[in-house]
Amino acid sequence: MPTERTVAWLRNRYADLLRLYPRPYRERFRESMEQTFTDLWRDEREAGGGLFRFAVWMFFETSVGILKERWRFLLMRNANVVRLAVVVGLILLVPLVAMQFTDEAAWTAFDFAFAAALLFGTGFAYLLVTGKSRSIAYKAGVAIALLSGFLLIWVNGAVGIIGDEHNPANLLYGGVLAVGLIGAAVARLRPRGMSHTLFAMAVAQLLVPVIALVVWTASFSEPPGMLGVFVINACFAGLLAGSALLFRLAAEQADLRNA
Amino acid sequence: MPAKANAPLTPAVLHILLALSAHERHGYAIMKQVEADSAGKVKMGPGTLYGSLARMIEAGLIRESDRKTDPAMDDERRIYYRITGLGQRALSAEIERYRQVVALGTRKRPVANAFVFRHAD
Repeated sequence: MPTERTVAWLRNRYADLLRLYPRPYRERFRESMEQTFTDLWRDEREAGGGLFRFAVWMFFETSVGILKERWRFLLMRNANVVRLAVVVGLILLVPLVAMQFTDEAAWTAFDFAFAAALLFGTGFAYLLVTGKSRSIAYKAGVAIALLSGFLLIWVNGAVGIIGDEHNPANLLYGGVLAVGLIGAAVARLRPRGMSHTLFAMAVAQLLVPVIALVVWTASFSEPPGMLGVFVINACFAGLLAGSALLFRLAAEQADLRNA
Repeated sequence: MPAKANAPLTPAVLHILLALSAHERHGYAIMKQVEADSAGKVKMGPGTLYGSLARMIEAGLIRESDRKTDPAMDDERRIYYRITGLGQRALSAEIERYRQVVALGTRKRPVANAFVFRHAD
């Protein structure tokens, strides 16, 4: 027969376990659940049941409940982040499945990790930046800016824009991203500042092939060639300028609201 | 989010609503009532019970009542739960659904027997 001390110790451990519930749930039910523990143990003892079996059942059943509530809480609080993680997982299934059928897709574990980090990071940045904004123009501006950054990293990582992916000229694109990051920090993500930042990024994007042409002239003999490089950069600059215009629109709308 | 009165209920929610249909009860008393109502077939643990209670409060099917002692038990003050009007309607709708299923099953039984009979040949 277990001593009162053993039962009290177990009840305290059960109280510790209940701390793992999300706070709102814990505040509402902790006391009742501790009372229920005592009630159920009294029933078990009267029925001649053992403490060990009772404890295993209680701790297991409650742990399952904690996992369910934690998951629910996570979904409720971070529904968009969970959705994003699921979408990233589904996207990564495409190369994973393709690898089973063709040798054309040969991703390493690093490739998957890199793609997951890039996709999730881009999506998470969007959620983070647009979380408090109701402006469609602002949201669209952020989406296009992030998409441009994502594509810039992806294309450079995969094949490179100037020459191949190992060509040092492609490192200049890091400067475009740096302009974006510094500009966004200085502008504190406010639409007018973001508009200036994105225009600066577009200019930096157009400067990259010009600088590369001066320093690494030979690189332009490789595919996609000089015209190809300038066209690709013009496309990126167009996206960045489009994003800048959307930020400008969002700033003007904000000015009108505040007027 | 409030529930719709005619939305189907999970077995745990149905049993809890049945246990609360007559009068208010605290968590442990709900467990015992569910066990008694189901002749010992349904035994709810605290994780299941309080998880269901949380969702039912959120859906407006039940609400927390006063905190008081249970005269049949110790002198600890306990939170009681009471069924709401929405909970009553949801319970009635669920019972009606079960009634229709039983009626359908009763009507279909001869056909099912005939099917078994034909294959037995």
